[in-house]
Amino acid sequence: MAPSPAAPLLQLRNISKAYGGVKALTDVDFATGAASIHAVLGENGAGKSTLIKIISGVTRPDAGTVAFEGREVAFATPQEANAAGIVTIFQELSVMPDLSVADNISITRPPRRLGLIDHRAQRRRAEELLARVGCEDINPIERVRNLPLSRRQMVEIAKALGRNPKLLILDEATSALTAADVERVYGILHKLRSEGLGLLYISHRMHEIKELADTISVFRNGRHVETFPTGTRNDEAIIGMMIGREYKNVYPPKPVRAAPPAPVLEVRNLGWVDRLHDISVTVGKGEIVGLGGLDGQGQRELLLALFGVLRGVEGSVEVEGRPVKPGSPAAATRRDVGMALIPEDRKTEGLMLPMSIGDNISLTALRKLTRGVVIDAGAEKSSIAAMVEKLQIKIGSVADPVATLSGGNQQKVVIAKWLLTAARILLLNDPTRGIDVGTKQEIYRLLRQLADQGTAILFYSTDYDELIGCCDRVLILYGGRVARVLEGEAISEKNIVSASFNLAASEAVPAEAAP
Amino acid sequence: MAMAENPISTAIRSIDRPVLFAAAFIVVILIVGTAYTLITQGNAALLSPTYLLLQLKVSAFLGIVAAGAMLVILLGHIDLSVPWTIAASAMLATAWGGAGAIPVGLLVGLGVGVFNGLGVAFLRIPSMIFTLGVNVVLRGFMVMLTGGFSPSSEPTDLMLLLAKGDVLGIPIPVIIWAVVGIAVSFMLRRTPLGRYMYAIGNREGAVYLSGINTRLVLVAAFAMCSMLAALAGLLIAGYSSKAFQAMGDPYLLPSIAAVVIGGTNILGGSGKLSGTVMGTILIVLLQSVLSVMQMPEAGRQIIYGIVIIAMLLAYGRGSRLRL
Repeated sequence: MAPSPAAPLLQLRNISKAYGGVKALTDVDFATGAASIHAVLGENGAGKSTLIKIISGVTRPDAGTVAFEGREVAFATPQEANAAGIVTIFQELSVMPDLSVADNISITRPPRRLGLIDHRAQRRRAEELLARVGCEDINPIERVRNLPLSRRQMVEIAKALGRNPKLLILDEATSALTAADVERVYGILHKLRSEGLGLLYISHRMHEIKELADTISVFRNGRHVETFPTGTRNDEAIIGMMIGREYKNVYPPKPVRAAPPAPVLEVRNLGWVDRLHDISVTVGKGEIVGLGGLDGQGQRELLLALFGVLRGVEGSVEVEGRPVKPGSPAAATRRDVGMALIPEDRKTEGLMLPMSIGDNISLTALRKLTRGVVIDAGAEKSSIAAMVEKLQIKIGSVADPVATLSGGNQQKVVIAKWLLTAARILLLNDPTRGIDVGTKQEIYRLLRQLADQGTAILFYSTDYDELIGCCDRVLILYGGRVARVLEGEAISEKNIVSASFNLAASEAVPAEAAP
Repeated sequence: MAMAENPISTAIRSIDRPVLFAAAFIVVILIVGTAYTLITQGNAALLSPTYLLLQLKVSAFLGIVAAGAMLVILLGHIDLSVPWTIAASAMLATAWGGAGAIPVGLLVGLGVGVFNGLGVAFLRIPSMIFTLGVNVVLRGFMVMLTGGFSPSSEPTDLMLLLAKGDVLGIPIPVIIWAVVGIAVSFMLRRTPLGRYMYAIGNREGAVYLSGINTRLVLVAAFAMCSMLAALAGLLIAGYSSKAFQAMGDPYLLPSIAAVVIGGTNILGGSGKLSGTVMGTILIVLLQSVLSVMQMPEAGRQIIYGIVIIAMLLAYGRGSRLRL
């Protein structure tokens, strides 16, 4: 029997959960209905993840009750929650890179014939589900490894739909999606809502939530602050609820320049196989230059090419007027080049998770910290402490594994290890993905501070707001080429979007009031 | 962030557990063995300094090999060419003879190690396959060497002295082992190379993107591993007064077992040399005590295997963070 609109699909009462001495959730009441999209907002550590884990059967609450479709439930495992109709798409992708898309989608219960996996039925099933998420272009027999991050996430969504959820939980499930995919996901989510599904949606992107959700709940420090219909509170009020204080000046002011600054990095006619064509960009001393556009248009490759990771890069690169040819990250980080790259995936490319915070921070600078052949323990300790202080990384001890930190603090560790090299060119690949608002704000301020000290910054972001708020200039890439260069007032959402889809320049007029 | 702290910080605090475990087990072995000799022979022969020093001396050969193997295992790799690196260096050293014998033996080790390192770091062939191939090729060369003509297999006087001599009652191999151990431990804890090795074992991609020449580190680790195997080969040849073809065979698996029992993660990234030393002594002592107790060969093998599995069950699981 379907629950009436009055009776919520899911009802949590007096839920508390502590890990050791740390209270993750305190006395939380929470309800969500069928046929609605319910956004849960809060900073990292606000208790959202614990809430999701309890609902989806990953952990059990210390106190309180969970009722689903009017009946009290106590899921011992995620499988039980799945069977009841609660399916969760977690922030960390759970697809196996070396299996095919079809294998992944049917990983829990593959269609069988005579006890063996029926590959043909499995492929048909994958095709149907991919069509449901509007990704007919993904080949079901393709290995997931060969798909870009955003397509993998679509596979993840298709996989979740294959389990026939009544309540679908998306935990940061759109953080890796590009604008085009996000639109598609909106469409899917609206369709699912009209089919009567309950959707719980967790995201750090405010404008997504405003566009998508019917109801918003805000969490802070393990408590449920307030639930209200979308549109009844303005941004400042919502963000104020999340961080518990006034929220102003997200982005530091941009400097006004009389003349263009002296160029630090000059790239001319850069090309790489069929992914990058004829890219020229100059980043001046103290400038933050943004890279925008749809995902997979060559932004990532451009950063990797500059950093010496890619083979067979054409064109010329000059650093402070001297031609350089970085053939490896080791060459790109040498003192006379002085580049640093904050990579896309901090967990696999930025950090050694089981190693200590200190070891992670000092890794790039060990050569400088060495006397003879021995690491100078005192110098190492003080430079690590200086970085922890400068970036305000919240840690217990520098000897703790970096894996114990929250995502935002992990990202700060990645940034810290590069600041220690005193790089003059900083390349950033979407550095704020999956990070809470407060930490984002600190990162923006830090970038501007570094720029003011003379660092040249090339900054790729999938978030328009960041490009608009942070960058002095923005290059929009399309198909591996620079489609448009936006500067000053012309850096507006409208212009970025139209350039991202490579629409004619005449349609993109400077916005009257850039936000 | 505080949520995840407890299990992980517990795991970190337990890093020295393998050493304690192995030490406790060594004591248990000695107690059981002594109880046996007291009952059957009425003496405590196992606790005599002579017996213990002899065990240390035997441990030295395995210990030097294991110290090298540990370096490669820390990187998440493995060196299966150890047996014939031992044999080849000893055989070529004795064949060369004279004052050049020991340098020749060590150079053979260096050559094999650099070759292994280049294959793994530059050709990106999995180390398990590449070193297995190198092992077989080395065997072929040695069969060729001894097949056509018969070179000398007599160790030089210096090799005999290093393997059989002692200083103030302490066998020279034990002293060499101690020097090797201190050097390796120092390298791992205090130099950038050591830090890079742990880092690569945890996440090679992140280390590469940090601007570190990871290939050089790989080559260095394989070179050190093979040179230590070659050093052990020279000592073993001196100890047995002969270099012979299968002399390295009994060292491969026990050395890996010693490293892993000592708490080094077989997948790389964590482990201490003190653990490897304890693991080595444990293995040598276990084998010796079992033979003193006149355990039949079959029983010895079974107990040996069970002990390795039991030690790993005790602390091997969960020491790797699930990330």
